[in-house]
Amino acid sequence: MHPVTWVIWLAAVVIAISITHNPLYLVVLVLLGALLSQGVQSQEKALQVPISPLRFTLFLVPVTAVFNTITSNWGTTILLPEIQAPWFPALSYGPLTVEALVYGAINGLVLSALFTVFTVFNVAVPVRDLIRFIPRAFYPVAVVVSIALTFAPVTLRQLRQIREAQAVRGHRMRGIRDWLPLFIPLLTGGLERAFQLAESMTARGFSASSGPRQTLYTRLGLTTGLVALLVGLLLDKVWNITLWGRLGMALGAGLILTTVWSLGKYATYTVYRQHHWSFKDSLVLSGILFALGTLWILEPEIRAYTPYPTVTLPAFNPLVGSALLGFLSPLLVYIKKNKTFDVKT
Amino acid sequence: MDLNSRRRKLFSILTYGLTSLIGLFAFLYPFLWPAMVAQDGMAHSADAPLTLTVLVALCFIALLIEVQGDEVSTKFIALLGILVAINSVLRFVEIAIPIPGGFSPLFFLIILTGYVYGSRFGFLMGTLTLLVSAFITGGIGPWMPYQMFTAGWVGLLAPLCRPLVKIVGGEDSRFEVSVLAFVGAVWGLLYGVIMNVWFWPFATGPADQYWELGITIRETLRRYALFYSVTSLTWDISRAFGNAALLFLFGAPTLRVLRRFKRRFAFTHDSTAIETSGILEPGLHRCIR
Repeated sequence: MHPVTWVIWLAAVVIAISITHNPLYLVVLVLLGALLSQGVQSQEKALQVPISPLRFTLFLVPVTAVFNTITSNWGTTILLPEIQAPWFPALSYGPLTVEALVYGAINGLVLSALFTVFTVFNVAVPVRDLIRFIPRAFYPVAVVVSIALTFAPVTLRQLRQIREAQAVRGHRMRGIRDWLPLFIPLLTGGLERAFQLAESMTARGFSASSGPRQTLYTRLGLTTGLVALLVGLLLDKVWNITLWGRLGMALGAGLILTTVWSLGKYATYTVYRQHHWSFKDSLVLSGILFALGTLWILEPEIRAYTPYPTVTLPAFNPLVGSALLGFLSPLLVYIKKNKTFDVKT
Repeated sequence: MDLNSRRRKLFSILTYGLTSLIGLFAFLYPFLWPAMVAQDGMAHSADAPLTLTVLVALCFIALLIEVQGDEVSTKFIALLGILVAINSVLRFVEIAIPIPGGFSPLFFLIILTGYVYGSRFGFLMGTLTLLVSAFITGGIGPWMPYQMFTAGWVGLLAPLCRPLVKIVGGEDSRFEVSVLAFVGAVWGLLYGVIMNVWFWPFATGPADQYWELGITIRETLRRYALFYSVTSLTWDISRAFGNAALLFLFGAPTLRVLRRFKRRFAFTHDSTAIETSGILEPGLHRCIR
């Protein structure tokens, strides 16, 4: 699937999470994300996540619920009455309410849903495609990131070798000071490698290649853009002149982005693995937009659930619930590619 | 049209100044203008996080263009790439070893490289370490731009230790590492304070810990202090203590290594020297420059 499709999927689900506080829809989003995460992981030789989204949710929701119940005393449905212990303030607490408990659980669900969708994105999109999203204007930064990503496994291997060598010499890890004989050789070895790398890059003509070169016009564009942003910000937030303020900020943003684009024109680069937009991407995109559109348009009052002042059961529209399945559309691509996918239990 | 050094300096100062002003405003405006925010009402607070996030992102882009510069030096790129790789590997240590609280070995190298190699290097070191380690560990999330920006600030401001170090005895003195350890401890706490500030005015919760429309600056500060002490202080103290301990124990030998390599990296490639020496045929020097 095209990486841009994944970016749109990520943006759509994040918007969906941010516009609803209905716990039932949030549970559906977490479950869909967890299913997609399993599906993507079973098909790709991808990064393995350190903790499964479902386990994370099962841990986080009770923690945020309990924390909010203890620290917030709003609400009308009392779980435990107020206790005053003036002789030992740590034992004093206000009334514990069901509303605070539910509100904390909803916050936990929002965080879990965000964690889940970013987990799916991390697993689904390879690092090389993520680097490609770095704008051309930041060509030197992209080279640094590529070097760092290439040398990170080498550095890890070097750390292991140093550790083994030191262990053979009788070095034991007993405290924080014992990290020094490991860290200094790692740093020195890395810097020696940087020296060799710089020489070989120069020998291959890296410095002669044309990078983004700043001119008077790009500098002016950047500075004027920042001035417009600042003036727009002050007009909007300090003097409350919203229209002109927002126009100023839009102008500033436009100037900065145009500068980035014009700087990028000077950077030449070669793409070895070209991605093409396919029919599958259009299919997935329509599924995503259908899900988000349905959630956005239908019954905003159901979306905007709040347990305060008195807790009620959240409403659930089966039509919206079914439409959310559109967020699962990337899974269709994986099923079609390999006929089935394994769900790890 | 190319720029001469005076104009370049002027534009640099303007860029740094404007991004700092906008960044500070974006982070601190609920503290500075409580009455103004009160006029605006809830409609304003609903879109404020998005607006401010976009502004911070634009400032970050502008600052990155400025810091990156237009001189693409192989030494700078290779050194930065390898040091970012080493620092990202240190993040594995953080994940692999269950150390309590917010302790992270990341800031140790960001502070030292910023201090030795300068603001530009420090900013990129902080920013790119967070980016690369997020790629490696699968830590990409909405929190990442803020982490990158704040870690960049840690490196950007690290050279401010130099005047302090001069006062206590200069480079290689006994107190140099103590100054750096103190700054590391302060940043351990400040990092948490800054990372909380961006969302705190828009979060909801217990009335005595969260920001409300129309409250005074004093009340805002009191509530933030309470919120911070309840939710983050313990976590950040362990980060501050960890930074100070690492800088105190490992600072001196690491500084020696970084300075030795700074001297070794001080060479320049002069293509005209090769051309005039007659080693290469005319025209071939362009491939080597």
